[in-house]
Amino acid sequence: MLDPVFLAQTILNGLSVGCIYGLIGIGFCVIYNASGIVNFAQGAFVMMGGMITHVLMQQHLPLIPSALLAIIVVALAGVVIERIVVRPLWDRKATMFVMILATLAAQIVIERLTLMLVGDQPKSIAVFTDLPPIKLAGVAIGYQTLWIMGTSLVLIAALGLFFQKTLVGRAMRACAINREAAALQGIVVSRMLAMSFALSAALGAIAGILVTPTQFTAFNVGTPFAISGFIAAIVGGFGRPFGAFLGGLLLGLAQALAVFGLGSGLKNMAALSVLLIFLFLRPSGILGSAK
Amino acid sequence: MATSPATILRNPRQWLGQLPLAFAVAVVAYAIIDGGYIVTVVGFALIYAVFVAGLNIFMGYAGQTSFGQNAFAAIGGYASAVLTATYGWPPLAGIVAGMAGAVVCALLIGMPTLRLKGHYLAMGTLAIGLIVYEIAVEWQSVTNGYMGISGIPPLGIGSWELESDRAQLIFLAIVTALSLWATWRLRQSRFGRALVALSGSEDAARALGINVGRTKLIAFVISAMFASLAGSLLVHIVGFISPEMIGMNMVILAFTMLYVGGIGTTTGPLIGAVVIGLLPEVFRGLKDYQDLVYGTALILILIYAPGGIASLGRLAPKRRAAR
Repeated sequence: MLDPVFLAQTILNGLSVGCIYGLIGIGFCVIYNASGIVNFAQGAFVMMGGMITHVLMQQHLPLIPSALLAIIVVALAGVVIERIVVRPLWDRKATMFVMILATLAAQIVIERLTLMLVGDQPKSIAVFTDLPPIKLAGVAIGYQTLWIMGTSLVLIAALGLFFQKTLVGRAMRACAINREAAALQGIVVSRMLAMSFALSAALGAIAGILVTPTQFTAFNVGTPFAISGFIAAIVGGFGRPFGAFLGGLLLGLAQALAVFGLGSGLKNMAALSVLLIFLFLRPSGILGSAK
Repeated sequence: MATSPATILRNPRQWLGQLPLAFAVAVVAYAIIDGGYIVTVVGFALIYAVFVAGLNIFMGYAGQTSFGQNAFAAIGGYASAVLTATYGWPPLAGIVAGMAGAVVCALLIGMPTLRLKGHYLAMGTLAIGLIVYEIAVEWQSVTNGYMGISGIPPLGIGSWELESDRAQLIFLAIVTALSLWATWRLRQSRFGRALVALSGSEDAARALGINVGRTKLIAFVISAMFASLAGSLLVHIVGFISPEMIGMNMVILAFTMLYVGGIGTTTGPLIGAVVIGLLPEVFRGLKDYQDLVYGTALILILIYAPGGIASLGRLAPKRRAAR
């Protein structure tokens, strides 16, 4: 009944999609740390990343330039959202709920614009390395899985360096600890807000580009990804980027095991249950809240 | 924040603020007299007005957040659908059973959830709304999954059914008026003042002797009852229910109506529901861009007119004075 190879395969797939959730979760944390804002338009960045890459590759542009261009465009879109939606509300000292609602509305606007531009058909991009999967004790490891895990780990390391070594990264961390004190040190907090949106949008775009070959992308895939990313961030302890990555892995694993044990209809239910369990029992997440 | 009709009438300058309400009432009256297609549109708006009125108690008065009110509309809607269509209960009994179910669920859900604050509360309630949606899709034997349940009888008592569209609309108008009246009475009561107090500061409210936890929970349960009632009305008017009718878009639409009408005002839910309900009818070409326009409108209102239409009359003189 219980097939160990199938179980190992399930775990591997869970961890792979968990990396994606983790990257999206980090995006939530980066913005939250810089501003205290929970950006519900995060899922739109994921969708745009995959979609723009698809559109560019349709124009016979190779993968790497398409992906880079997509990441840049999405990062700019993040800054645009920050400028025209978040900044005006921020300046008016809008409440947390209004901010959530406004970013959610921004997500809907982006979704609908995408629907009008590319239609409602699901789109995909080819796998990055078109070779048969590596077989390891019966478990098939696809190259796209390696791409996802490898890129995620490189990004985590790069983010670690960014937050520890660079002036901007350290300024962002200062904002996370205390915005007023950071402002008194000469850090332009509002500029950090724009930069955090760019960074978080770029992370979302990368996640979207990595995951699209294994699934597909359509105008409405953003919301489920955003919810998964948010759950990852909560599980990791909100505001802790690396906790969010860990949370993503855990969520991907929990989801894969739920599908393995209980059937695919319960995939979303499993994720939402993980969220509620953490909210009710340990809202500060596995690593403890950042604040 | 909250404006009762009484305080508005005392100040003639604020009569301007009643224009949107007059417009909304006029639209409903026109639909009742005219009959025809507009009846469907206005009926839909009135059902949403009931839903939004409940949301307004929890969010406008008590200053809380719920992204999961569609869960209770689903409970009411599916209770009505299953009990009347499958088991042949009279509609009224189905509505009452749905509301009772919603109260029990709201108590069970509210107790752990309402301890959360800020974006945790937003996310927790959102999860509940999504879970109920998933249940509606997956629990095939009861809900019939994506296919939904059809053949739900129209509203009526005993053998007397509200058959004509016009009779249904008059009934909906009465229910909506009673709902708004109930929220207004609630706002004026000691309980309503407690809600507004805790929306300002929970600590200050606690210092005044308000049991914050219990007050929030009661507000949540009351708003769930409104949502359940709206869900039941919706399935009886449409004659059909499917998971898509009670999904996330229901919540987003309700938020848009609440903010357009004016959050925290008594008449805001009706104004918002009528204005938003009419939008796609007034601008025919808009249909394809409906969600795009709602989203953009919501962002603009949140930024530039966070008080909504109901507050425009109140804001206008103030702004002039400020300049």
